[in-house]
Amino acid sequence: MIEIKGCVGCSLCMLVCKFNAIRVFGEAKIDEEKCVKCMRCVDYCPVDAVNIA
Amino acid sequence: MRVAVIGSGIGGLLSANLLAESGYYVEVYEKLPFIGGRFTSINYKGYEVSTGALHMIPHGNRGPLGKLLKRLNANVEIVDSKPEGEIYYNGERVKLKKSLFPRKTLFKFYINVLLSKINDKSLLEFSKSIDEFSSKFLRSFLGWSFSIFPEDISFSKIIPIYKQILTYRGPGIPIGGCKAIINALKENIESFDGKILIKTRVKALKPGEQIRIFSNHVKDYDIVVSDIGRKLTYKLLGMEYESEVESRGIKYTIALNESFIEHTGVLFILGKNIAGMNEVTNADPNLGKRVMLQVHQPMRGDVKAEIEIGLREIREILKGYKYEIISIQSYYNDWPVNRVKTGLDIGNKTQFPNLVIVGDGAKGEDIEVDGIALGVMKALEGFI
Repeated sequence: MIEIKGCVGCSLCMLVCKFNAIRVFGEAKIDEEKCVKCMRCVDYCPVDAVNIA
Repeated sequence: MRVAVIGSGIGGLLSANLLAESGYYVEVYEKLPFIGGRFTSINYKGYEVSTGALHMIPHGNRGPLGKLLKRLNANVEIVDSKPEGEIYYNGERVKLKKSLFPRKTLFKFYINVLLSKINDKSLLEFSKSIDEFSSKFLRSFLGWSFSIFPEDISFSKIIPIYKQILTYRGPGIPIGGCKAIINALKENIESFDGKILIKTRVKALKPGEQIRIFSNHVKDYDIVVSDIGRKLTYKLLGMEYESEVESRGIKYTIALNESFIEHTGVLFILGKNIAGMNEVTNADPNLGKRVMLQVHQPMRGDVKAEIEIGLREIREILKGYKYEIISIQSYYNDWPVNRVKTGLDIGNKTQFPNLVIVGDGAKGEDIEVDGIALGVMKALEGFI
């Protein structure tokens, strides 16, 4: 399950995603089909907006 | 004496370097997996996409940051922008120079400088009293430099910044971008046996003769320098704090096949939501595999609606050019343009003598990172 809450749209997650699974337009959207749950976006998010369970 | 620095942004690392050089044992705490905060870059599709700043230093080599880096022997080359600025107005481009502004407007400006001590007014009021071109330039300048609007600031607050511009002139571009400065500071800090701990989050602070830091470990420090702004610092202390307002913005990173700006200065955009743009690959081609255009837009409304407007304006300005939007980055809340709007900073001190605040929530009277450098010097007075 992927949950995004409090995203400001800084795009750091998109810049570091190795699987091209993230698009950002004001806020991040993660493509669950491309996501392998590597947690890189969770680590890089400066505002702790990404939750991947 | 032991010092902890919370946050490895430019303010945190400048402080760490100064303190380490003065003989303190310094540890920098960084919660993220990289250092530099909003003053570094991540390579994406062959472009050094910045995490925040625009790979530009407001006063180049000559200003407060340039001077401080020299004093610290931080080895970074900063190329002066030539021309310093250009103006885009109604589809036409003209070099930024004093003679563009009507004498009547300049006269009004000087009069207001003289009168501001006894009769300060809002910058909005001033901008309404001058000609349209100058008023639009003022708006664009504030948007580019601070991500604020004329109604956000009083006239007297821009006087020290105006003086800094007269003294130190226009911008410069660091070769290697923001990251080159961050790396030089890191190298310095480590050469003084300072430590930078990434992925190490500070969970709480307990004030006292020594300040206790609760992180992966519990440790006491003689001095703590916080680079995360007043609001988040007080949160770590478990104290309530009514925060000042942050400045908000949007940054677009755009790849072009051929150069649009064709120089290393700022292109101020007048009469639009977008405030300005630069093309730093003209100074350092290694910052992008093709031309990298960075566009900045101050923001105060709905993020997505503002981005729609910005993209429409970019399409209009770049008409006839082939371009690709590499990234759209918005900045607000706890990842803002500035943690406190320019002119509303309340200094670097806290109620605890051994806890100080640096960074873009506690700047000195200058633009962006040059303001941060001034703030750092002020915060560390008495310690170094």
